[in-house]
Amino acid sequence: MDQKIARRSFVVGSAAAAGILAAPAIRAQTPTTITFRFNDPEAPQMRAALDEFERANPTIKVNMQRISWADMQAQYLREAATGTAPDVVHISFVQPRSFGGGGALRALDDLIKRDGASLGAKGWDDFFARDLAEGADGKIYAVPWTTDTFTMMYNTEMFAQAGIAAFPTSWDGLRAASRTVAQRTGKAGWGFPAGSCATPTIWFFMNYFFWSNGPGWIDKAADGKYVMGVTPAQAQEALEYFKSYLDEGHNPRSNMSVCLWGAPELVEAMLSGNTAIASVPDTVAMEILAKWDQRNPGKKAPFATAPHPGGRNGSVTNFGGRMLGISPNARNVEQAWRLIRFLVTPEPTFTKHYTNYTPAQRSALTSRNWAPELAGYPRQLANSRSWGPYATGPVPIPFMWNAVGRAAGSVFIGEKTPAIAAAELHETIARELARTQR
Amino acid sequence: MYTTPRSFLVYALLPAFFFLACFYVYPSIFNIQTSLTDLGIFTLRRGGDWIGVDNYVELLTSPDFRRVLFNTVVWLTLAGVTVRIVLGLALAFLLNSRTLRKWRLTTAARLLLIVPWATPPVVAIIVWRWMLDPRVGSINSALTATGIVDQAIPFLSDANWVWPAILLIITWNTLPLVTLTFLASLQSLSAELVEAAEIDGAGPLQLLRYIYLPHLKPAIIVMVLMSTFWTFNNFVYVWLTTGAGPGLYTNVMATEIYIKGFIDGRLGYSAATGVVMATVMTLFGLVYLRVIAKRELVEESK
Repeated sequence: MDQKIARRSFVVGSAAAAGILAAPAIRAQTPTTITFRFNDPEAPQMRAALDEFERANPTIKVNMQRISWADMQAQYLREAATGTAPDVVHISFVQPRSFGGGGALRALDDLIKRDGASLGAKGWDDFFARDLAEGADGKIYAVPWTTDTFTMMYNTEMFAQAGIAAFPTSWDGLRAASRTVAQRTGKAGWGFPAGSCATPTIWFFMNYFFWSNGPGWIDKAADGKYVMGVTPAQAQEALEYFKSYLDEGHNPRSNMSVCLWGAPELVEAMLSGNTAIASVPDTVAMEILAKWDQRNPGKKAPFATAPHPGGRNGSVTNFGGRMLGISPNARNVEQAWRLIRFLVTPEPTFTKHYTNYTPAQRSALTSRNWAPELAGYPRQLANSRSWGPYATGPVPIPFMWNAVGRAAGSVFIGEKTPAIAAAELHETIARELARTQR
Repeated sequence: MYTTPRSFLVYALLPAFFFLACFYVYPSIFNIQTSLTDLGIFTLRRGGDWIGVDNYVELLTSPDFRRVLFNTVVWLTLAGVTVRIVLGLALAFLLNSRTLRKWRLTTAARLLLIVPWATPPVVAIIVWRWMLDPRVGSINSALTATGIVDQAIPFLSDANWVWPAILLIITWNTLPLVTLTFLASLQSLSAELVEAAEIDGAGPLQLLRYIYLPHLKPAIIVMVLMSTFWTFNNFVYVWLTTGAGPGLYTNVMATEIYIKGFIDGRLGYSAATGVVMATVMTLFGLVYLRVIAKRELVEESK
């Protein structure tokens, strides 16, 4: 018995001594784990990119967390307020200013100053939307990562069947084409998502409608103050315009149950030829083309893309996009920064893994090879604008986004007339502008 | 240690008071305090500035608030609870009936009844949303295939259908609890009492009026109270079914709190809405218990 105890004590003691002696070496080999909150649907592709990052940086492990774009803002801000946010966060172009101002992002000026020259393909100056990465205090809170814009995608065979030779360039022309396609093919024309939610697609289309003819909801006056740009009459005109698609029946009322631009219902409607026209970001257009190829091997896809209709200002859409930031509670800032540097470098992230997305860098944008069906995207990108006063002004974009979508929803179901909804919507945004600009 | 029964009681209740203070009193006070500030979601780390009762004034004078209150009280709560109580009673009588026993269907029917209750609300809502979908939904497929309607009905985005659709989902998911509660009460009713009434010549309506409903009254009182609280405060069913849309057509107080707090970013305003909501329910509970429940208890004791 004593012998057994002695032997056991010897074994335990030796193991403990070995552990103590080996601890520094083990610690040196133990990788640092950082968390990356990623919100796009391409999780497997991103995991593959992160695996490649881990192979190149064996001392860093990346734990990828997932959340939907709809929930990311509230979730992240709660976490940032309590010091539990992920190290690296995936945010949209419109968020760095408000997040940074609220202390929910770490300023990156010191890191960009040190490594800016080697950031991305051609250094920090090659990135665009850098104005949106800045806070009101002039500090940089995020690195632009990807960019996109909405472009019109249409079914060329259905257009030919309807006798339409070229994609229309005016808003009235688009409605006429949508109507004609529906009449001659029995299918939907422009089947845009008309549903209500906190982040409805109609927000983008209404802005394109306004911008192509003049002002935006909020503009910056010469004295630096922010003012209401759109009048109630202009808001009413836009609401009436989009409502007419539903009233005339060339956008089916079932699309009132669809809210988001990449909804499977819309993708399927384009693939099946039940809808002739869609307005989608390049990632969704690529998804449609990929699925078409999968279902119809060897057959040419009957799709083409063209810029949105225009008005006095031509065709204007917004530069959408995503950025990467570091949370204020990140303990491993150097490792988080190394991950950001890896992800914004086009090779291999965008060339091997995250291939549906375009880096938010001028050099990458100009050198990108677009498929013939997607030729409308570079043309549209050339006519895209930043959110500008929306992002730098005092009214949070999510507030306007929600308000515009709700107003449109109440008009589409006939609960309110366009005139009443437009007046209420204008008053809602004007009141918030007055409150937040005080 | 416990010198008197009174001190024993105090010590025994201390843990409960501690938890109540931590998880109910403190959050309530914090919420009231937040409602008096302009705290925003982007200024969580910095905190909000004191603005007095501005949030309450804005809320109570807002035309949107009247609509939200109407949706919450009339559609969600009044209609929802009424449907649930009436259907719950009907199903309880059915499950307690001699006919069902005679056909040996009682066990199967009770098991079937438990299925919706065992289904988590999120799952139930997703399944119902799919069934109600105008493109691929089984309900619309059945309606169009049988010629009942020419075109599919967008149940969740049509003003005429959206509230009935929400109530259908809530009722389906929550009816079993109400039914089982009434069924348990019915089963505690003495069979001799019913037989005696029948021998005395009481018909079905008289049995219902003079035997069953008086016996079920305490259960009905409790279920109405509990259902009202659950329904009035409920967020999940409306938010996941319609997102408070189309437009804000189905916006209720719980979804309004979420929209104002986490979409518009106005946490102070959202907290004020929460305080008003809690006040409304407290008042309802007090009035209900004092007026209805107390009267019933007095009658019971006579």
